[in-house]
Amino acid sequence: MNVDELELALRALRGVVAVGFTEADGIFIVELQAGAETYDELARDATLLAAQHATGPVAVELVRWGDGEPPQRETRLRLVELTTDPAAGELTVRLARGDEEAVGRASTTGGLPAAVEATVYAVRAFLADLTYLPGWARTVETTPDRRFLVMASITDPIARTHLRGAAEGGTPIEGAVRATLAALNRTISREL
Amino acid sequence: MAGQLESLVDAARTGSGLGTVYRALDELVELYALEDAAVVVDVPGFGRQVLHAGRRPLHDDEHRWHAAEPGLYLQPPLEDPVLSGLMQALSALGFRHDATTSGRAGEPANP
Repeated sequence: MNVDELELALRALRGVVAVGFTEADGIFIVELQAGAETYDELARDATLLAAQHATGPVAVELVRWGDGEPPQRETRLRLVELTTDPAAGELTVRLARGDEEAVGRASTTGGLPAAVEATVYAVRAFLADLTYLPGWARTVETTPDRRFLVMASITDPIARTHLRGAAEGGTPIEGAVRATLAALNRTISREL
Repeated sequence: MAGQLESLVDAARTGSGLGTVYRALDELVELYALEDAAVVVDVPGFGRQVLHAGRRPLHDDEHRWHAAEPGLYLQPPLEDPVLSGLMQALSALGFRHDATTSGRAGEPANP
């Protein structure tokens, strides 16, 4: 991966003022800081660029700055384990917040959205009043080395808002779990 | 010190523009035993840009560099207008060099 090319391409996106890189749990993490003049699809465009340049799992974190106060430090949920039990027809997602862990399960008969469902259920163990419900997940790109870029959507039926995230995984299910976390993490981080 | 400068000059000779800027920031951090460093620069086609030592994420940007005026920002602070000007110039040249070699020169910012 040519980090210089990726960084230059990301900085050319409107409103981006800083780009940083780090790695955690084998995932290459790209952080963007964007000013008030940026645009709604910045996260999607940045994720597509990062996925094109990265050679392994990648996640994009976006910090948007308006005219308000700086955000407080955030807590994030991370994926610990993802298992499927074909005999039971069940998918299990284990998430962690620091040392605490929680599990969410869903029937695999639902296909890829089951990954979103199990992830939301696991998140609800940390945040009982989570208003978002599982939506859909779709593989939007498969790389030549068989990695899967997946988009996931969750919905708050009361507020009628949708959150969408994109992430890469070694399987479509892993991509869908990570994409669901990408969609939720920034919204729920201050309540965790 | 001499070895650091050679390494920086080598980066400028054979490396990328952004890579050379980050090398310079990292060497400043090492030379002055700094906690942190960043350069803020205005670049045509890119707007205001913050380059943070080590290419590290700014996270919650406790120093608020994302909204800072162009300049060199060191922690702890070290006032040196000449060094600040040189780092801004190096950064602007680094962006222009990389944009030219990547074919992004003159390209408007997306979307």
